[in-house]
Amino acid sequence: MAEVGRVSIRLPSSIKQGDVVRVRTLVIHPMEIVQRDKQGKIISKNYHFIHSLAVAFNGKEIMRAETTQAISQNPSFTFPLKVDKPGKLTVTFSDTTGKSYEGSAEIKFV
Amino acid sequence: MTALDLLDSLSAFMDFIELLKDDVTIGRRTFLRVITSVLAFVGAAKDILFSARAGAQSVATGLPLPDELIEATMKRLFGNRTLQPGAGKIKLDLPLIAEDGGNVAVTIESDLPVGGATHLNHIYIISDKNRRPMLAKFTFTPESGKAFVSTSVRLATSTDVRAIAEMSDGALYAVSKNVRVTISGCDVPPQS
Repeated sequence: MAEVGRVSIRLPSSIKQGDVVRVRTLVIHPMEIVQRDKQGKIISKNYHFIHSLAVAFNGKEIMRAETTQAISQNPSFTFPLKVDKPGKLTVTFSDTTGKSYEGSAEIKFV
Repeated sequence: MTALDLLDSLSAFMDFIELLKDDVTIGRRTFLRVITSVLAFVGAAKDILFSARAGAQSVATGLPLPDELIEATMKRLFGNRTLQPGAGKIKLDLPLIAEDGGNVAVTIESDLPVGGATHLNHIYIISDKNRRPMLAKFTFTPESGKAFVSTSVRLATSTDVRAIAEMSDGALYAVSKNVRVTISGCDVPPQS
């Protein structure tokens, strides 16, 4: 999957000051699950999955998540955001290969 | 080696200190005893530190964590604290029947405040029958405005799914819901 790590963020179409909006984010990622051999023993290797997610708005932390292999492939998360002023929303996913994938969105009032 | 072993060796050492106060001359036997207890203490401390580091390392490198029963997970996460019924405080939305266990939508919404004196800190998603029952842990800050999260998880089999909210004062509120899973989400290889 060439696209691994593409982060997309979806915001509501109109945001007013003071709203608590729901933001949806999605990342393309295989989220490998534990594999077992024929005896049912876990194959010991470094599995490739996202282990944490951090959301920040204007540099302030909004939400943090610890995720495991029990999260579906191409995971999506919806989280709340209290909008007091316009700014930049950043979402950072970190995976077990040491890579991190970042997505960002500008929040403006209409 | 566990924390209990550490305590054991520590108390053995303390006993010896008490003994020292009583008689000033140290015999060969008592001397050997202090050496053993000190060594045991150092060994236990090293083991505990090492295992904590190994746990952290395995999360970051993707080595699979050992299988765990739901009781063990609850004990590890919450100790002996009691879970209060969270109906009315937390809303957990799950399908009644999940055709694909590999992709089950979970929505958790709570009216508990995320700011103020006692506020909601974490929300855990726990599945009773997964091999590693803790699926995800979410941490909220006052800037989030509301405790709400929605994601999709993998469920191994038909199971109870719990949403547990942990407050800043340590109180725990739990709700659970049963899901029937048609195809396991954990036994199929991931599609690439």
